[in-house]
Amino acid sequence: MINYHPDQHLLSLHAKGELPLSMSIAISAHAEFCAHCQQQLDQMTLALSEQQFEQNQTIQPASIEQHGQLDDLLNQFLNNTLDSLDTEVKTKPQSSLVADNSVTIKGQQYMLPRVFKQQITSGWQGIGKVSRLRLDTGEPQARASLLHIAANGEIPDHTHKGSELTLLLAGEFSDCYNTYKPGDFMLLDQNHEHSPKTTEGCLCYTIVDAPLYFTKGISKLLNPIGDLLY
Amino acid sequence: MLHRDLLDMSEKMENIQSQSSQTRYDKGNLSLRSSNQRSGAMNSDEPNPLTDELAQLMMLVANNRCKTSFAKLFSHFAPKINSFGVQRLSQQGLAMDLVQETMSRVWTKAHLYNADKAAVSTWVFTIMRNQCFDMLRKVQHNREDAFGDDIWPLFESDDAENNDDDFLLSASLLQHVEELPPLQRQVVQGIYMQELTQQELADKLNIPIGTVKSRLRLGLEKLKSFMEKHYD
Repeated sequence: MINYHPDQHLLSLHAKGELPLSMSIAISAHAEFCAHCQQQLDQMTLALSEQQFEQNQTIQPASIEQHGQLDDLLNQFLNNTLDSLDTEVKTKPQSSLVADNSVTIKGQQYMLPRVFKQQITSGWQGIGKVSRLRLDTGEPQARASLLHIAANGEIPDHTHKGSELTLLLAGEFSDCYNTYKPGDFMLLDQNHEHSPKTTEGCLCYTIVDAPLYFTKGISKLLNPIGDLLY
Repeated sequence: MLHRDLLDMSEKMENIQSQSSQTRYDKGNLSLRSSNQRSGAMNSDEPNPLTDELAQLMMLVANNRCKTSFAKLFSHFAPKINSFGVQRLSQQGLAMDLVQETMSRVWTKAHLYNADKAAVSTWVFTIMRNQCFDMLRKVQHNREDAFGDDIWPLFESDDAENNDDDFLLSASLLQHVEELPPLQRQVVQGIYMQELTQQELADKLNIPIGTVKSRLRLGLEKLKSFMEKHYD
């Protein structure tokens, strides 16, 4: 039974596609564990698509110029693009059928949720019982990693400059608040201090040091001045 | 338990089969079913004529490569995709790219659209949002990657209950799939992971459909015995 879930705000930003990659991965992976959140996401997506495509009043009237561009694009599709797309599909060699979607650490293999399939590009680093595999999300504001803690390992007391997201993927761990199970999604801010420990070992997905970053839509961050604020 | 999993696998195979042969052509049945299913999720009791019309157009594009139907879909969706793009990407040029990318995928992926699982609007919205996500990454981080479809899978079941099972089941099954003889593995992966129909797979591998069927059967039987040996 999963006890910790992303809140409605995060879910709705995710359905709109407005969260950064690191956080989108976390929500999507959580939803692979959690039928309840997946269902909410499906409903939100349905509502958004109706709002976008089935209610005419929300659409701003396109300018004459845009109409012209759309007409040109359609003509291009009909005269040319559609046929060449079909040829491309036929001739394109299909590459390997399934990506290896697992990681191995200290002799233990873990299957990862589907969303990680293109994300594991580097190796493990670490000392003692704690190992980290950095994901290259290209986001200067956040560091996303897989974190493995071997059996009977523990992370010393720590707090965070920004927020810390932990999604438990396998195994269990506990801190002074609770014991967590795979699928549990914990977002802690800098006021929380904790020292997670695990008896059987665990694999987590974490994002750290991201003050304010997670909960704002990406399109708001598009403004270049947004970056200077961090 | 494991028997049930493999039964599920075979059922899925049946579904894919019937989808490619029968159901896709049975428009009356499809639109009826899709509006029934949707009414639950939408809290709306009235069938939506627009929804059914869009589903029929998709069917014509998928089955007949009908350009007239594509043009109608384009006229319906393109201005709305454009306005979404302008809002999200803040540049008219990029918005037009989003229209082009999204509508190209509507054409190339039309055969994967399933009216039982989602309304056309929802499907197109998903394609558009995923493309837009990748375009935003390009603009924002100068990254040329395509992760949108990993984050919001397009072509799989929207059925929430299956989600957990799929991931946990595939965790154990995938290992065994790797152990299959190469020819069987290729067919099992094509059907279940790429979600090709048997005919599509036969065309792709350039082998008769009967061979696909027999390799698939052998592969599934072997998987079943792997699973039993391993877990009983």
